[in-house]
Amino acid sequence: MNRQRRKFLKAAAAGGVAYAFGRTPGTVHAQMSGVGGLGDYKALVCLFLFGGNDSWNMVVPTSTAEYNAYARSRGGGTSSSLAIDRAALLPVTRVGQLPGDPTFGFHPSMTGARDLFNAGKLAVLPNIGPLLRPTTKPQYQTATTTGHALPPQLFSHNDQQDQWHSLRGRTVLKSGWGGRVADVLNAQTSGQGLSLNVSLAGQTYFQAGEVARPYVMGATGAATFSGFATSGVGLARRTAFQTISNSSASATANTVYERSYARIQQRAVQFADQVNGALGSAYNFAALPNTGATLSALQTQLRTVAKLIAARSSLSMSRQIFFVSAGGFDQHDDLVADQPGLLANISSSIKAFYDALTEIGMDNSVTLFTHSDFGRTLTSNGDGSDHAWGGVQLVAGGAVRGGRFYGDYPLLEINGPLDVGGGRIIPTVSADQYAATLASWFGVGESDLAKVAPSINNFATRNLGFLI
Amino acid sequence: MRGFLQRCLIVVAAAALASCGGGGGSSGGSSGSSISAPPVSKVEAFRFLNQGGFGATEAEASRLIALGDSNTAYTRWIDAQVAKPASLLLPALEAAYPNPVPQGFNIGSLNAVRLETWFNNVVYGEDQLRQRVAFALSEIMVVSQVGALLNLPNATADFHDMLARNAFGNYRTLLEEVTLHPAMGVYLSMLGNQKAVAGTNLRPDENYAREMMQLFSIGLVELNVDGSNRLDASGQAIPTYNQDIIEGFARVFTGWKWACASTVTTCTFANTRPQLAPATGYNQVKPMQLFADQHEIGTKRVLAYSGSTLTNGTIPANQSGAQDLKDALDNVFNHPNVGPFISRQLIQKLVTSNPSPAYVQRVAEKFNNDGSGRRGNLEAVVRAILLDSEARGAATGTQAAYAGKLKEPLLRLTQLWRAYTARSASGKIGAARNFAGGAAAVFGQAQGSSPSVFNFFSPFFAPSGEIADAGRVAPEMQIATEYANTQIANFFWVQSLSRTQLATTLNADDMFINTTDELAIATDSEALVNRVAEKLLGGSTQMSAALKSETKAQIERTAVPTTNPTTALATRTADAIYLIVTSPEFALQR
Repeated sequence: MNRQRRKFLKAAAAGGVAYAFGRTPGTVHAQMSGVGGLGDYKALVCLFLFGGNDSWNMVVPTSTAEYNAYARSRGGGTSSSLAIDRAALLPVTRVGQLPGDPTFGFHPSMTGARDLFNAGKLAVLPNIGPLLRPTTKPQYQTATTTGHALPPQLFSHNDQQDQWHSLRGRTVLKSGWGGRVADVLNAQTSGQGLSLNVSLAGQTYFQAGEVARPYVMGATGAATFSGFATSGVGLARRTAFQTISNSSASATANTVYERSYARIQQRAVQFADQVNGALGSAYNFAALPNTGATLSALQTQLRTVAKLIAARSSLSMSRQIFFVSAGGFDQHDDLVADQPGLLANISSSIKAFYDALTEIGMDNSVTLFTHSDFGRTLTSNGDGSDHAWGGVQLVAGGAVRGGRFYGDYPLLEINGPLDVGGGRIIPTVSADQYAATLASWFGVGESDLAKVAPSINNFATRNLGFLI
Repeated sequence: MRGFLQRCLIVVAAAALASCGGGGGSSGGSSGSSISAPPVSKVEAFRFLNQGGFGATEAEASRLIALGDSNTAYTRWIDAQVAKPASLLLPALEAAYPNPVPQGFNIGSLNAVRLETWFNNVVYGEDQLRQRVAFALSEIMVVSQVGALLNLPNATADFHDMLARNAFGNYRTLLEEVTLHPAMGVYLSMLGNQKAVAGTNLRPDENYAREMMQLFSIGLVELNVDGSNRLDASGQAIPTYNQDIIEGFARVFTGWKWACASTVTTCTFANTRPQLAPATGYNQVKPMQLFADQHEIGTKRVLAYSGSTLTNGTIPANQSGAQDLKDALDNVFNHPNVGPFISRQLIQKLVTSNPSPAYVQRVAEKFNNDGSGRRGNLEAVVRAILLDSEARGAATGTQAAYAGKLKEPLLRLTQLWRAYTARSASGKIGAARNFAGGAAAVFGQAQGSSPSVFNFFSPFFAPSGEIADAGRVAPEMQIATEYANTQIANFFWVQSLSRTQLATTLNADDMFINTTDELAIATDSEALVNRVAEKLLGGSTQMSAALKSETKAQIERTAVPTTNPTTALATRTADAIYLIVTSPEFALQR
């Protein structure tokens, strides 16, 4: 860490709340359009599919040779088959597809994703995963003797989740790339009323910057403090609560735990009113309605994201990164029974979110992208699949050059040129390239990309080109 | 247990047990009494009880203090705790299970009985240390009602009881009982794991093999006995296992499924099923059974390390599934990582998030050999953790900033409830009634309900800023988000103001605290704030100047009328409790 940064961090830590802005609610309204010179609004939405999505069944080859390889590998025709029937798939035609090219289809329950793909608003990254440098199968197999750098602890849930969040490779980096984007854009976003990073799905490394910290909300909004009021004893109670928190946050004699907790407490009070004020007058989206429909947990999170985007001016936001999640993807068991529901939820949620943004004219300003721990084994363990590596991810939004695949869809062949064992496919596009592409669109300059995606210089293509 | 008298230095510091020869890492129950060890202070008693249970109370502190002095009281308290039988969850589940089960009955709803009973056990139960250790184990060897176990509530409850029964037993026994418990079998898919089928791509499920090594026993990288990473010649951490070894263990863990029900005449791997309703010997709470026809009989590559009894780290072919299991679990148990891996995590759950390497080493060495040649003696490990000078004494120098830990949110709640003799009219702690959306929605965690096998928070979590920069951790901070903070503060506000013995509109399961003491002195802000601090912090001197002055000033903002003063007294009391229980000082476990 260079001396400059170390000094900055020391100062930030001593100052209590470790980000550059700290304006009271009353003054943020003065900082309106073109905050810091960015001049427009953009948001990224990271949808993390926890557990490792069995994504070879999400986007499936439909052309004969490719489908047959897929079906064979997945135990087609046996009682432990994981393969989807070819006739059930939802076929799509890729932009620029030529006769004789391989063809593909979405899982039968993903009509929403299929529709967005056909409308050119959804793109597919067919074989992507954490990589420190381009890696072939022979390079993988001889890595222990050659020292070819591989991400550590492949196939371990929490380590691979960390890799997607942080892109840290073999370093001990403790920040995530979403957090680092906030660090890089700090000067241009210092007038924002809320953290650049907001999570509706708990705290992960993804949004931890070296300086910037995420604001964690509930799926339906921030909570307000009971017992606080705007006058009288209730106001005094709020003030007392804050004074106690401030004291614990700053006193050097305290333990790190007390200080750290106190700082969260400070932010909780600071942001609760702002966020709930903004959400109180928020839009009622037809695509994600407030009443009259049962929304999944993921849809509920995305509805709150859409509302915060609708309320962006009142919070003086020009750049936001949201984190939402869905779980249950670690399908070692009961894959055939459970997968349709899981994929239906992803598909309908992404579609509804896109439609909601269209209602407020923000569809071109918001890009949703998926992450997952890893893809899964082609092979079946009887009724499910196990942890693997490369897999399929999706990107959706008005700014996406959709209807295309970015990267080659692998031949799904056991012991084939990309199988590193047990039907685990080695990725041919890296998570760093993915992050760099998203960060570039978001406003991170070329010279800062390596701060965001530390391994990006090892890859020839720094921008995968899926965003306008 | 009095031994022979020992001379020891008179030491000014409160708990320098090590210098008296009988404290520190000693095993077993006896520690020589010394002529002039100081008594345990109330503050020290609170610290110990908050490490070894679900919340210190003044009554329990007094009992502890009366047991002896700072050389003997803690040991005797632990002795008494070890002797207490385990409070269980399963009997309540079995009593609540409808018999016969009506059509369309929502079996998963019985998980609420498990949560309710757990709260009862940890708030009212006498086996505080056993329950605290079981809770710690349940956060390491995780099963959860979220997922495949939803409709097997009895199995989930019995799994926790199994942890409680093993809390002071041997780790090798614990590992085997965890491995064969059907709750774990369902949760990590070892139950029904089949051998490979030649000519197809079907191979054994690796889930349990992987998580058992990564989370329950040895971890991902080789460790020194002090918990630090062993490094290779180029300074890199050394993985403990690779994919081959995972596949080897996966093949060991084949052929195990639901124990045969006595009602089934020809019981096979294919047709054995879970018995849902309680009956004598029902298999939902019985260890899994081996079906030899589905067990892989080839050789299995497992862990290779110096001192292993297996040649080339390989289990030979053609052994029974039971023999393979025994060899595999012995192989894991004897790996040098287990001592530091498990010891460090238990220290983090009970005492401090950032133990010194020396502390970890003292405890790990006790795991390796309890003093009488036994490996894996969890009782000895727990004693070593709680009696260590780092747990009992004051940290000095740079380590002082890292002493203690953030309390888990549920432990802040149970401590308040215990300190204020909380109860409900019905006698139950109805989780559904007391937490809007459930305990996890309010407190960010609930027993046996984590979203994955990785618990609610990771033992490696470090928040950005000074903790991450220093290379230290604060695991509980992972769920200490702004949102959780608000939810918890609001819970405590409602509890303090509206859910006390004064309330007249509570439901039968609503927990109310007893504020009689406080109401009686609420006109005196000094006395009130001191009283609450004595109950929650172990002493009025434990409040920082800011906490005391702000709380006192807030108390005084509600004037007490001469007629109908009760409401004002209740508000003053609520402010005192609320500001202290939500303070970062209270959130800290010292």
